[in-house]
Amino acid sequence: MSILDIWLGILEGFRVTAGITIYGLLFAIPFGLVFGVAQYLATGFVRFVVTSVIEFWRSSAVIILLFVFYYALPVIGVTLSAMTVGAMVLGLNIGGYASQAVRAGLQALDRGQKEAGQALGLSRPTILLRIELPQALVAMSPTFINHIIQLVKATSLVSLITLTDMTFRAKEISQIAYEPVPIYLSLLMAYFVACYPIALFGRWVERRVNPVREARNGI
Amino acid sequence: MHDTAHDLAVQITALQKWYGAFHVLKDISLSVSRGARIVICGPSGSGKSTLIRCLNGLENYQQGTVILGGTRLGDNARDTSLARRQTGMVFQNFNLFPHLTVLSNCTLALRRVGGMARGEAESLALHHLERVRIPEQAYKYPAQLSGGQQQRVAIARALCMNPRLMLFDEPTSALDPEMIKEVLEVMTGLAHDGMTMICVTHEMGFAREVADEVVFMDQGSIVEQAAPATFFSTPNHPRARSFLNTLLH
Ligand SMILES: Nc1ncnc2c1ncn2[C@@H]1O[C@H](COP(=O)(O)OP(=O)(O)O)[C@@H](O)[C@H]1O
Ligand SMILES: [Mg+2]
Repeated sequence: MSILDIWLGILEGFRVTAGITIYGLLFAIPFGLVFGVAQYLATGFVRFVVTSVIEFWRSSAVIILLFVFYYALPVIGVTLSAMTVGAMVLGLNIGGYASQAVRAGLQALDRGQKEAGQALGLSRPTILLRIELPQALVAMSPTFINHIIQLVKATSLVSLITLTDMTFRAKEISQIAYEPVPIYLSLLMAYFVACYPIALFGRWVERRVNPVREARNGI
Repeated sequence: MHDTAHDLAVQITALQKWYGAFHVLKDISLSVSRGARIVICGPSGSGKSTLIRCLNGLENYQQGTVILGGTRLGDNARDTSLARRQTGMVFQNFNLFPHLTVLSNCTLALRRVGGMARGEAESLALHHLERVRIPEQAYKYPAQLSGGQQQRVAIARALCMNPRLMLFDEPTSALDPEMIKEVLEVMTGLAHDGMTMICVTHEMGFAREVADEVVFMDQGSIVEQAAPATFFSTPNHPRARSFLNTLLH
């Protein structure tokens, strides 16, 4: 089997890998934002509930969650497609991490930012949306890029719930061709090729964000 | 159009505040007439910031009353927003919004609280930036400005909301000496325009020139309250005397 055949074979799984990543982000981004903000604002029992939900998704083993949601839920009559289970479990897991970055970003802001907004008479939601979140999200953007890269790599687990992603394809090909070394090296490179543009994008974002930040530190 | 019986901008009566067991404001009473300029001074930790932050609801208090522009403020959202609509505050560290241009810093509240259209808000903001003498910086970000310029933007930002009372919390303490003057000049201009002002500051030249009254605080109490000429030449209280001595040296 030529390297080209191996590459074309793995490429057939790219659509699933990309699909799970994008579909997963649709879970991760709202979850990270809403729960990160909620954890920042809430107190008492509400905060406890919010924290518990975050910890469930962040601290459970992803591979076990995939099996539970894919194989165990149908037993109680809930059947989700493999694609949905994969995107949801991976997305909410990464979203759990992202929520902590959102919360940390908000907490790291100078207290004076909120107070200046209050002194001007701005409402709490306006202060959050116009003053706190824009600054926190920009400060945390390198972390969010890391999370997206982690998500891409984590998609390789969905091969365990029957989805033909790049990893699944590599396993298939290696069963036909018995050439595990070139096949898995190619797979390794395939993930690198998928992730590197995201890293480059992250650096571009950081450069765009930085002039203001550097000037701020310069005073 | 105000009631002459309420010719007081602020009336604080028997205000008490504790942080846990720590008694930070002890039975504070203070009246400020409309158009008056009050300077509050005193050692660090004496409760000056806490006191003026009680006037716009940045701090709550346990006992006493605050009457602002004739309305007694309770500890509820409606009164707090009423207080914030009437007061403008300038902080020691400027607290400009770093992600917004100077102009947007000034227009944000006009648009979100005042519901003003963008064009109208911007021309009003430019008017106030001219008043603090930096209209040419309108499209820069705060980080591109000197400390003195940033503090003048903060003053303009507060003025945009057309406050009846301006609160200053050590507005020049974070500034290099050469920038203090430009900020004090703006504040002096405001005073001459008739703005009611309560300034926490240790700028004694400013106090002498502008203040109607100097309030000296120590350990959570108002220890002395006098016209600046009297306060600086013949301070009554020994603690005021020793405080003035430390300022001179
Ligand atoms: N949030 C807080 N919790 C507990 N103590 C506080 C808090 N804020 C201020 N204090 C204390 O209250 C006292 C008065 O503080 P402050 O009003 O900032 O003084 P000043 O402005 O005169 O320097 C200080 O001893 C300070 O440590
Ligand atoms: Mg202070």
